[in-house]
Amino acid sequence: MSTAMNFGSKSFRPRPPDKGAFPLDHFGECKSFKETYMRCLRESHFDNSRCREESKEYLECRMDRQLMAKEPFEKLGFKDLMEKPAEENKAE
Amino acid sequence: MLLPFLLRGCTAKHYVQQALSSTRLCVNYCNIRGLATSSGQLFLRRTPQRFLNQSRGAKTHKRKHQNQEDDWKKRNKTVLTYIAAAGVGMIGLSYAAVPLYRLYCQASGLGGTAVAGHNTDQVETMKPIRDRIIKVTFNADTHASMQWNFRPQQSEIYLVPGETALAFYKARNPTDKPVIGISTYNVVPFEAGQYFNKIQCFCFEEQRLNPHEEVDMPVFFYIDPEFDDDPRMARVDTITLSYTFFEAKEGQRLPVPGYS
Repeated sequence: MSTAMNFGSKSFRPRPPDKGAFPLDHFGECKSFKETYMRCLRESHFDNSRCREESKEYLECRMDRQLMAKEPFEKLGFKDLMEKPAEENKAE
Repeated sequence: MLLPFLLRGCTAKHYVQQALSSTRLCVNYCNIRGLATSSGQLFLRRTPQRFLNQSRGAKTHKRKHQNQEDDWKKRNKTVLTYIAAAGVGMIGLSYAAVPLYRLYCQASGLGGTAVAGHNTDQVETMKPIRDRIIKVTFNADTHASMQWNFRPQQSEIYLVPGETALAFYKARNPTDKPVIGISTYNVVPFEAGQYFNKIQCFCFEEQRLNPHEEVDMPVFFYIDPEFDDDPRMARVDTITLSYTFFEAKEGQRLPVPGYS
């Protein structure tokens, strides 16, 4: 929390996460997806916008193995990634 | 010894009256004698009228005095009523101040309280703001008695507000016993903390690690697009997310924010 002597200034209040906590991946089932994501991050100099596909795949892995509640990816902020394959399908 | 003194005090007024009347008589006597001393005249002028007229018209004077007393009493009563009402009002105000102040803090965001109406559905509709790149650095700490090896797997990530991002921490239990940890987080600068929204993470819940086990702990978060509109955040380019792990003892309930 905040240091003791800041009487007037704002202090930080931690908030619980919106969708709760991730269950621990004890068996390393999604470790390969994580490694792909980390490699992508390192290659793109830690630019998040270039590795969103990999992060979506990691979350998909978690959902498939009951390590995360299943949710449509639009709700997780991946709407732009979902629209692209739809456009590609239309183009074909 | 004191008793006669007190008794004398009680009757002091009577004595004063007597003294004044006798002085008056004396002065009159002097005047009759034609002596009319200046001191005597001075005495007559300076002594308050009511003492001199004590013997004459005592009843009318008493009534006037009574009326005056009644007036004072009435005025005192109204003043006291006003003061009592003010006192009760103050007490009521101090009780009402608690919820009122809480409402005000929520509306104005003072004191770091979470701004009411944090919309979880906005994740779906928010648009990333491409021209504002923010660097998020990661920090990991453990409590002194916590034996886990806890560290972030990336030192920083560059992202924009409105874009969800994934970050990883790694924790390892080097001991031969299972250890349960619980973590909390901190965001610096403090004012940016209200824009830092975690969709899912590993904090505030007990996480158990078996002996010699190593796990990846992800944090899925985003920065509110309103971050770009805040004038106080105009110069903020780096946000630091810091997690600290503590050991959770068996049967110990830790106070967690927001959870019932």
